[in-house]
Amino acid sequence: MRNLLNFIVRYSKWFVFTLYVLISLILLVSGSSYPRSVYLTSANVVTGSVFKGWSQMTGYFHLRDINESLQASNAALQNEVLNLQNEIARYRTLIPDSMAKDLELQPDRFGYVSAAVVNNNTRHPKNYFTIDRGSLDGIRTGMGVVDQSGVVGIVNVIGNHISRVISVLNESQLFSVKVKGTTFIGTLMWKGGDPSVAYVEEIPRHAAYNIGDTIVTSGNSTAFPEGLPIGVILNKVRGRDDSFITLKVKLTSDFKALSTVRVITDIYKSEIDSLANIPVDKTPVDRKKTAKSANTSTSVSHDTTSGV
Amino acid sequence: MDKDFLINLTIAIVLVLTQVLICNHIFIFNVAMAFVFIYVIIRMPMDMKTDALLTWAFLCGLLVDLFSDTPGVNSLACTILAMLKGPCMYAYVPRDDRTKSIAPSIRELGFAVYGKYLLTMSGIYCFLAFTIEYFNFADIKEIIIMTVSSAILTFLVILGIDSLIVSNEKRL
Repeated sequence: MRNLLNFIVRYSKWFVFTLYVLISLILLVSGSSYPRSVYLTSANVVTGSVFKGWSQMTGYFHLRDINESLQASNAALQNEVLNLQNEIARYRTLIPDSMAKDLELQPDRFGYVSAAVVNNNTRHPKNYFTIDRGSLDGIRTGMGVVDQSGVVGIVNVIGNHISRVISVLNESQLFSVKVKGTTFIGTLMWKGGDPSVAYVEEIPRHAAYNIGDTIVTSGNSTAFPEGLPIGVILNKVRGRDDSFITLKVKLTSDFKALSTVRVITDIYKSEIDSLANIPVDKTPVDRKKTAKSANTSTSVSHDTTSGV
Repeated sequence: MDKDFLINLTIAIVLVLTQVLICNHIFIFNVAMAFVFIYVIIRMPMDMKTDALLTWAFLCGLLVDLFSDTPGVNSLACTILAMLKGPCMYAYVPRDDRTKSIAPSIRELGFAVYGKYLLTMSGIYCFLAFTIEYFNFADIKEIIIMTVSSAILTFLVILGIDSLIVSNEKRL
């Protein structure tokens, strides 16, 4: 026994070293594929508070650029509203619609929750950013996040007042997209390096496109409605498969200057997701459990090469 | 509580916060970033027990990982760096009674020796951190470019921090 103790004391540095290396490796392997706990991410209470405090101190430095961007976005939206109002008024005079009353009763499917980005990274192969809204603000995992220019990510981990978002600049996250005005659907992915460039793969060879065309969300998921801009085609590049083409895309959002974003809420999301997750032979009791577990206040979602 | 422990703790907290709030967001030409928090490991006295040094290094790395969403990357790199601190130091200075208890700094070692020791430590850390993070030797060219540029930047920034701390100590 004494010899054993002497042995442990003598080689204690190697035991400590092995212990720390093992802990780090476990974190590295399990953390990069599946974040087991909200406490091990930037969405925990301590890191969240530090980032929020720092963001309040430094948030004023970019106000000029943000203001200009918001004014441009506001002007474009005002124009769009006016055009749509004119168009609706014209159609109402042309076609008296007996269904109009029923249509007005329909609620909007998608809503937005505004949030401030309190921490953002663009240099890692797997980038995330943190926003100052959490489960108590109605945020749930899997919700899409956009800024004034386009799609920026998907909510991944949520705390009560803070959430972590998988950025578009994350090699493990795929997005279902299409060329605007067409039905040719492909997969958008970031391959590291330049934070303003991504690639759209699996576009059929016969797809018609032009340089400068906009890439938009396909609407094939509950995270994003159809038609949200994500990038602009720069050129065609050599892909992995000759049956498909790969497009190099300039992302519309400036990921180095993310400040204010909106989280997209879909009133049908939980319904669609629960339907998609129910096995064929599941009983009504199991379905209740599924819905309950989807509404926990602190939850974590997979980010291993997932697609939306 | 021990005065040295409190000084080390203050420096560690300040450097980790500087790393996660400022340095993590400065990525020059998309290749170079400064890892200032490794100064905590670099400046620890040579007579500190290896177990204690490993614990300091691991905890600093873990904190940076939590803030940066890179679980395991910096904690692993810091732990290995702490283990290599002795061999790095004694590659440039003889192991004698004076150097056994020295706290590495420009004032103690002089610019030439401290510069070599600091550059070696920075280079090892940058290589470890980028290799662990990318985990793919297909990106070896990118890893080497980032290692070299980040090691030089880290070397320059830590040299500045060390001069600042040494001049403050002189004044006190």
